[in-house]
Amino acid sequence: MEKREETCTELFQFGEESEFQSLMSVVPPPETGNSFTALLELPPNQAVMLLHSPEETAPDNFTSPEFLETPNSILPNSSPNNFSLVKQEPVDSDSVHNSSPNMSDPVISKSTKRKERGKNVKSAAKKSKSVANETDGDKLPYVHVRARRGQATDSHSIAERARREKINARMKLLQELVPGCSKITGTAMVLDEIINHVQSLQRQVEFLSMRLAALHPNIDINLDNIISAESGSLMDGNGNFTGMVSPPLSNQIWQPDGLTPQPLWGVEEMNPNFITPENSLLSYDSSRSSVSLHTNQLKMEL
Amino acid sequence: MKVHTSSKLRKEFIKKWVKGLQICCSLKKNMDILERKKKIKLCADIALASTKNETTLWSIALISDAKKDDENKILVDNLLGPESRFKPRMTNRQMIACHKRVRSKKILKKSRHVCQKMKKMGPPKSNLAAYIAKTLVKRRTQVLKRLVPGGESMDEFSLIKEALDYVLSLRIQVDVMRTLANANEVLNQSDSKIID
Repeated sequence: MEKREETCTELFQFGEESEFQSLMSVVPPPETGNSFTALLELPPNQAVMLLHSPEETAPDNFTSPEFLETPNSILPNSSPNNFSLVKQEPVDSDSVHNSSPNMSDPVISKSTKRKERGKNVKSAAKKSKSVANETDGDKLPYVHVRARRGQATDSHSIAERARREKINARMKLLQELVPGCSKITGTAMVLDEIINHVQSLQRQVEFLSMRLAALHPNIDINLDNIISAESGSLMDGNGNFTGMVSPPLSNQIWQPDGLTPQPLWGVEEMNPNFITPENSLLSYDSSRSSVSLHTNQLKMEL
Repeated sequence: MKVHTSSKLRKEFIKKWVKGLQICCSLKKNMDILERKKKIKLCADIALASTKNETTLWSIALISDAKKDDENKILVDNLLGPESRFKPRMTNRQMIACHKRVRSKKILKKSRHVCQKMKKMGPPKSNLAAYIAKTLVKRRTQVLKRLVPGGESMDEFSLIKEALDYVLSLRIQVDVMRTLANANEVLNQSDSKIID
């Protein structure tokens, strides 16, 4: 009896103490020795209220058998009785969230049974919010997901769906970042764009380092160069260096690049600019046949 | 707000990059153009990764990759400075073991899923469109994993976040390098004009 009390207190550390005391009086003697059966046989209202935020509506009984086995097997390090809820924002504590899809199975199975009772299964109430008072960080997080109306209530598919939702949320962020992606629907196309973008950025780094190598016979870059560059365009958002270059310097090659503000990472716009630097490279270092070969390769790539 | 943080990042990146280049210069004189290019790129990459202060997986992977090369190791250590508490996350052997473990787990998972699918699905590929979509996405995630440094040992979820971060940093890198290159070219041209 005392052992069960202890485990229950550990379970509901973040809950109300008074509520918990009332629970203890109601708990019937468990059939098995497993500590979670105590939880399972609790009257639905009080038990789930302890586990979820107060905004949640009336809970249901959860009698999932999976709940018994999985926590003990999944949580090798921490005590199986400790778990806490986490906030829904995926951007913080990523390492924690990476483990959460595994851990959420038992809790998700709870919510499946809740759905079956048919209470408030609007799609709006999809994910619960976290409890305000979270306990210390070594407790593993659980993500509560409510099954939607008319969808499979299999715990695996719910976990799968939660994972997919997280991934889709992140993909949306990526879509906003990469230009031209917001109109595309479908994960594959968005991924395609992202890959192209990353590849083009990496290639640009290669080209630029080649250019800089050609410019400086010794790679010690002048400090006054740096200072003037720093004070000028390097602090700007785009490559606009009107701050440091006097406008009368008519430089046909760099005009589209520098003087007109353009989205720097539009791939189509970059390509014509890259062919001209290779020409200037050749003029600088025409004696090196390897360089010309290299630039020809680059041109062919483009 | 964004501009402030990015300009701060840029300054940090420039400082570290120039410092790295100076170290390179002192270590070896008279490099040919391809060597110079490699060093420039290497210093830029390391500087970029170090601005993250090991908060992201890709930066850690980038630095540990750079350290694998013996000749680069000295450079990296000097660049990161004595105050850097960075240690290679794992030795080569550990990394290979980790990869093997990850791969074998994936194979197991895959075979289990395939078995389950075979049991569930009566007519195979009745949902052809979804199947095609899934394979497309899988292929692309594989490609993305290869692109982002350290991507192979990431799961899909963190891969996307790392890719996001990597794209942002790459943009800064490209921006800085381009403005520097442009500025230098312009100055050189103006110098040559004056001489002529």
